[in-house]
Amino acid sequence: MRIVMKFGGTSVASAERIKNVAERVKGSGRGHQVVVVCSAMGDVTDELLALCADASKGMEKPVEERLASVRETHLAALAAAVGDKEVRRKVQGMLNLTLSQLEKLARGSTVLGELTPRSRDAILSCGERLSNPIVMGALIEKGVDAVFLTGGEAGIMTDDRFGDATPLLEVTKFQVSEKLSPLLAEGKTPVVTGYIGATQSGDTTTLGRGGSDFTGTLIASAVDADEVWIWSDVDGLMTADPRLVPSARVLREISYEEAGEMAVFGAKALHPRTLEPVAEKGIPVRFRNTFKPDDPGTVVKRNPKLYSKSVVKGVALVKEVAVITVRGASMVGKPGSAARIFDVMGRSGINVLMISQSVSESNISLVVARSAMEKGANALELALLGDGGYRHILTEGDVSAVAVVGGAMRSTKGVAATAFGAISAKGINIKMIASGSSNQNLSLIVAEKDAKDTVRAIHSAFRLDRLNS
Amino acid sequence: MDRSGWLIDEHGIDLRKALKAKKETGRVSPRVHDAPSAAVIRDIEAEVLIEATPTDFKTGEPGFSHMKAAFESRKHVVTCNKGPLALAYYALHELARHNGVQLRFSGAVGGGTPVLDFGKTCSTGDRLIGIRGILNGTCNYILTRMEGEGVAFEAALAGAQKEGYAEADPSLDVDGFDTAVKLVITANHLKLSKAGIKDVKIRGIRGISSKEVTKARREGKAVRLIASASAESGLVVAPTIVEREHPLCISGANNAVEFDCEYSGPKVIIGKGAGGPETASSLLRDLLEVRAKIDGQPGSRPAWRAAGAVGGPAR
Repeated sequence: MRIVMKFGGTSVASAERIKNVAERVKGSGRGHQVVVVCSAMGDVTDELLALCADASKGMEKPVEERLASVRETHLAALAAAVGDKEVRRKVQGMLNLTLSQLEKLARGSTVLGELTPRSRDAILSCGERLSNPIVMGALIEKGVDAVFLTGGEAGIMTDDRFGDATPLLEVTKFQVSEKLSPLLAEGKTPVVTGYIGATQSGDTTTLGRGGSDFTGTLIASAVDADEVWIWSDVDGLMTADPRLVPSARVLREISYEEAGEMAVFGAKALHPRTLEPVAEKGIPVRFRNTFKPDDPGTVVKRNPKLYSKSVVKGVALVKEVAVITVRGASMVGKPGSAARIFDVMGRSGINVLMISQSVSESNISLVVARSAMEKGANALELALLGDGGYRHILTEGDVSAVAVVGGAMRSTKGVAATAFGAISAKGINIKMIASGSSNQNLSLIVAEKDAKDTVRAIHSAFRLDRLNS
Repeated sequence: MDRSGWLIDEHGIDLRKALKAKKETGRVSPRVHDAPSAAVIRDIEAEVLIEATPTDFKTGEPGFSHMKAAFESRKHVVTCNKGPLALAYYALHELARHNGVQLRFSGAVGGGTPVLDFGKTCSTGDRLIGIRGILNGTCNYILTRMEGEGVAFEAALAGAQKEGYAEADPSLDVDGFDTAVKLVITANHLKLSKAGIKDVKIRGIRGISSKEVTKARREGKAVRLIASASAESGLVVAPTIVEREHPLCISGANNAVEFDCEYSGPKVIIGKGAGGPETASSLLRDLLEVRAKIDGQPGSRPAWRAAGAVGGPAR
């Protein structure tokens, strides 16, 4: 089998865990061809984010402290993870090169007191560029013929939207296949930095939060892998976030569409585009816990057979959202009213999460991230008010979104009735409702204080705590 | 640019001088350059790259890197290089789109005969069901000789080599690979399939005996190396018995392709296959199309009114 294994930050957080990763790859990968993709160690990415913030303010001392801490973390991990002198020297050389680049970038930005998005990505990419060579070293020591590549070297090409770059999928698939397939055929194990790509002119970009999983699925699709294994510190995708609902269960199987509907599934955050490259080819993705290697975890695949009787498979809570409502009687029957509203939001760079409009057309409600509420409302006021058609722009900031997800919802009657019944039994009022035409997702807006109870009520109404595999 | 160097003149190159130099010294440039060609393509100020390096069916190089460098520096690409197109059809189109430039390759299939443009026009406003055709002039020339002279494959091949219709190493042609690559490009271009070269079932003409050829002729038929693509049977390259009256059943180093549409029926285009002057004309045609599109003019359509083309129902 050809397997892409991706390890998250907690899985490579210490020398001990990096050795554990090497064990997993060697153990599960026996007789298989494996591509390894790793995130940055533990909280190194957060440290680098803080470093960026300090550097852009020209704060020399904290920048130096953070640089020293990053250096120390990785050199110590290397010393403890790799015993063989020869291998250690090789990895040390790679780390020194990246560390000195990082220091130059950080110091340069600090002197200027400014940081362009491009330099920021160059700095942020260092976390992965430091962790992966150590993993490579640990693998070589275990007798695995591992080679290190950055995402860009492996062929991942993106546009130049630094910080949240989008891969050019076809170019990436072609280049990664050309680069990695021969390595795999030679019996080598490529170790590729997650989260990182490069523009066509070779500048380093980052793929945004959760981007390492995306790297894993991109590579899997390019090399026609049989499976992707995403190792982290959770047991798999769950019916709900276990911190909210203690009785939440791990889902053994789920479809790409269901996983995609659930931006946030249990405790595991997915990059929204993670499943796109593998869904097309039907490559199964397994979410597994590094600390429980015998646990099967969750597999996302085509036509899952389990839970065929369960209509709803999960409940998710999206916190920190807000509702903006535009009202006006003369919006009624006026073509283009909605288009103007969305045009304003688009121009302001605000992402709309959820939309609801009654057939009377006298008002339209948008759900946005709470941090964008004021900006969005202001932009709408400036653009629309005084224009006759639009009368009021109202905002509501203390709300949360709850998503109910399940593939069989489209062919089952009474799903909404069950959900609404359970919510009203708790005395909770639903403020807004939306259901996409895929009918695999029912989204609700409730007051923030009621959000947890709503999730719990729905979870138990659909007996998700008794979902057995 | 050629394999040993390049010639750059922002006021335009004197082609006569360049050709004279090429003939006398074997290279266009007075001195040998060693900078990577992709870097030169990227840095030079020009609007269009004409990529005509020898095709490589395994890696697509150096064509792929050349085109990538051109796109990166916002140059249009005109090419007849089949390797990169067959291996990285969607990647190249994605790069062109990303950089807002054009990619044209009408000479990659059919040489001077505008097979791809004709197919596109046939399938516009209709649904393309399948493609069948003869896409390799060398194979067709060999089969025609076997037929006319009653000789074995080896003898016909040797004759074709002597007359310059076949390469010293004829395997890419006679084993069906060149045909398969053109089939992949055509099927993807006309959105009939997203298949790659490894999805094509390929059988060449090496195993054809003169007995089979003679038998077919006696029955009013002929053996031809036919490439076909359809939703039901996928992509296939194989020697096939064809009725002599069928428009596809052409003789000599020619190409013929039939496009079968759901409502408007089959149409056939026939013309000379790839050769130096034919391919050069396709490159010029594409270059003018690039210009026409930039100017927002309809271009030189209809492009299939080339000599030798026939239209109308084929069966």
